[in-house]
Amino acid sequence: MQLDFSNKQLTIKLVYYGAALSGKTTNLQSLHEAASGDAKGRLMTLDTKDDRTLFFDLLPLTFNDKSGLAVKVKVFTVPGQVIHASTRRLVVQGADGVAFVADSRLSETDNNTESFLDLQRNLKGQGIELETMPLVIQFNKRDLPNVRTPEEIAEMAKMGREPVYLSIATRGVGVVSCFVGLLYRTWEVLESTHGLRAKFGFDGPDFVADVAAKLGDARPLRDILADSVGGGDHGR
Amino acid sequence: MGDSRMKSLDELTMLEQFTLEDLLDRRALPEMMRSFEELTGVSARIYAQGTGLLAGPDARPALDTYLEGFSAGRARLRKTVDEAMAADARADRPAYIECAFDAAYLVSPIEHDGRFLGRVVLGPVRMADPPPDRPSKPLVLPDGSDPTAVLETVPRRTMQECQKLLGFFQKTLDVLAYSGFKAHLASSMHLATVRENFRELSDKNAKLQAAYDRLRELDRLKSNFLATVSHELRTPLTSIIGYSEMLLEGISGEMNDEQREFLGTIHQKGEQLLELIKSLLDLSKLESGTMSLRKGNVDCGVLARDVATTLAPTARKKNVSLNACVEGELPLYNGDAERLRQILLNLTENAIKFTPSSGSVVIEARRIEQELRPEGLSSGAVLAPLKRRALEIRVADSGVGIPEDQRERVFDAFYQVDNTSTREVGGSGLGLSIVKRLVDAHDGQIHIEANSPAGTVFVVVLPYK
Repeated sequence: MQLDFSNKQLTIKLVYYGAALSGKTTNLQSLHEAASGDAKGRLMTLDTKDDRTLFFDLLPLTFNDKSGLAVKVKVFTVPGQVIHASTRRLVVQGADGVAFVADSRLSETDNNTESFLDLQRNLKGQGIELETMPLVIQFNKRDLPNVRTPEEIAEMAKMGREPVYLSIATRGVGVVSCFVGLLYRTWEVLESTHGLRAKFGFDGPDFVADVAAKLGDARPLRDILADSVGGGDHGR
Repeated sequence: MGDSRMKSLDELTMLEQFTLEDLLDRRALPEMMRSFEELTGVSARIYAQGTGLLAGPDARPALDTYLEGFSAGRARLRKTVDEAMAADARADRPAYIECAFDAAYLVSPIEHDGRFLGRVVLGPVRMADPPPDRPSKPLVLPDGSDPTAVLETVPRRTMQECQKLLGFFQKTLDVLAYSGFKAHLASSMHLATVRENFRELSDKNAKLQAAYDRLRELDRLKSNFLATVSHELRTPLTSIIGYSEMLLEGISGEMNDEQREFLGTIHQKGEQLLELIKSLLDLSKLESGTMSLRKGNVDCGVLARDVATTLAPTARKKNVSLNACVEGELPLYNGDAERLRQILLNLTENAIKFTPSSGSVVIEARRIEQELRPEGLSSGAVLAPLKRRALEIRVADSGVGIPEDQRERVFDAFYQVDNTSTREVGGSGLGLSIVKRLVDAHDGQIHIEANSPAGTVFVVVLPYK
C-alpha cells in the first residue's frame, strides 16, 4: 500500500495467484470489461506468443471516494507456470490482498494445492504469514465437467478462514463479486492497521459498494458478499 | 528511454515514478513529428512535465524567426510559451493560445493512466474560426516590417480540423507511450527476475559450500582418529606378540605340547590383528595424504616373480597353483618398490583367498601401449598424444568372480561383495581400497575384468615416460 498524504491518494496492490492456466488473466480481462470508463485503466499484459503470462498482467483501476481520497487499485496476476518461481516472488511482494484462483476440476486438485503452498512459501519468504494476508479463494471454470460440487466446496469452506467464490471467468460470472470480496477483506485489514476512517473520513463499506456499482454490480454490498461461502461472517 | 537507470517494478507500477521520457523513445520521436508535419502541414511540439521540450519540428517555424527579430516580438514569443505551459487544458478541451496576428497554438495534456506527464502543443496555425471571446493582443511592429510573407507560411485551418489533428497526434503518442511503458516494465521485470535467480543460486551455493567444508572437516577428523587409534592399539599388541614369541622359544622354561599349541594360536592371532591395524594405518595415511612415496627404479618382472615365491607356501596350502609370467624385458619403472610390492602382494593374496582348491592364480607383467581417447568431444583433442607407454600387471584367478555392478565398489573401504555374516572368506575389506589408493598415488589405474571361464582379473596399469 502507498499512501500519499499530500495528494490524498491511496494505492492498493491486489494479486491474483494460482496454478498455471487456472484463469487469472481471464479474471483481469473480465474485470477490465466490467469497469466503467473513468475507473478503468489500460490492461497491460506481458505475455508470450502462446498467450501464457510471462511476467505478469496489470490492471490499474482508479476510484474517487466521497471523502476526497483517490484510490488506485493495481490488480496483478502472477505467471502460474512452475518455472517462473522467482517472478511470482517478485510480483507478490508488497501485496495488500490476494485472490487465489483455483481450477475447479478434480484433476487439478494437486496443482491447486501445490500453488497454494507456493504462495504460502513466497509470503513467508517476505516475513508474512498467510493467515494475516487478506485472502479470498475463487473456484473457477464451474462450467467444465468433473468439477468439485458446490456442496462439497461449501462444506470444506466452512473449515477455512477465507471466503470462497465460484466463477466462470470466461463469461464474467462471479468475477466481480470475488474482486469486491477481496477489496472488502483488504479494506478491513488496512482500516485496522492504518485507520483510514479517522485520517480521511474514508468509509470502507460505502467505498467498496461504490466500486461494485462501477463494476456493474449495483446490489447492496451485503448481498454481493453473500455470493461467497465460508470465511466467517465476511460482512454478510 | 531518457533515464539510463532501469526503474523497478514498484517504482513503475505502484509509485508511478516514471516520466514521459521513460515511456517515449527519444530517438523515434523526431521521425514521428516529421511525418506528422509532412502529412498534415501543421507542426507540433511535445513538452515533458518538469523537463521541458522533448521533441519539436526540425526547422524553426518562419513566424518564430520573424518574431525573434524585434524586442516586442521576442517578448510575445516568450509570453506565448509561458501561457502554453500554464494553460489549463483537458484532453477533450484543448487550450487556445494566440501568439501574434491570428496565428495560434492548441495545447492538450499527455496523460498515462490518469497521470499528467506533459503537453502537446500544436501549431502555429491561423485559425479560420478563432474563439469569439479571445483577448485581443495587438503587437507593435518595427517601422517598415511587414509580416504578410511570413504569415503566408503559417497553415490555415478550422478549429475542428485542428482538434482532429490533435486527437490523432495524441492517440499515436498514447500508443507509443503504452508500448514504451510495456517494454520498460518487461525489461525491469526481466532484470529483477535475473537478480532474484542469482540471489537464490548464490544462497544455495553458499549453503552447499558450507556443507562441503563441514564434510571435509569430518573426513579429516575421521582419518586422524583412525591414525591415533591404530597407533595406540599397536603398542600393547607388540608386547603380546613379543612375549608369546619369547615363551614359544622356551626362554622361561619348557612347555608341554598343549601349552605350545595355545601359545601358537595367541601368537598367530596377534600377528593377524597387527596386520589389520597396519592396514588401517595405511589407509588413514593414504586418506590424509601424509604417506609419501620413496621412488626409485623398480623391475616389475622381478617383483612379480618375487611375490609369487613369497606366496607359494600359502597357495600350496590351499592347493592352488600360482605362477608368475613376465613377457620379455620390462623397462625399469620409477616407483616406490615397497608400495608396489604391497599392491602385488595384496592382489595375489586376495586372488588365492577367493580361488577354490585346484584352481589357479597367474601374475602377468608386460609392456603395453595405452590408447588415449578422450570421452566425447573435447577441444584441442587433436593435439593430444594418441598413445602412451605403460606397464600392465594382471593378477588372474579362477575363483568366484565379481559381478559387474560391484566391480567399482570393491575398492571402497570396508566393502565386501559377500556381506553376509556367514561368508566363507574372511578379511577386513581394506586390502583393495589400499591397493587402489597406492595405484592412484603412482598415477596409475586399476580395473577389474572377468576371467574366462570363471574368476576375476585385476589389471593395474602404470604409465611411464
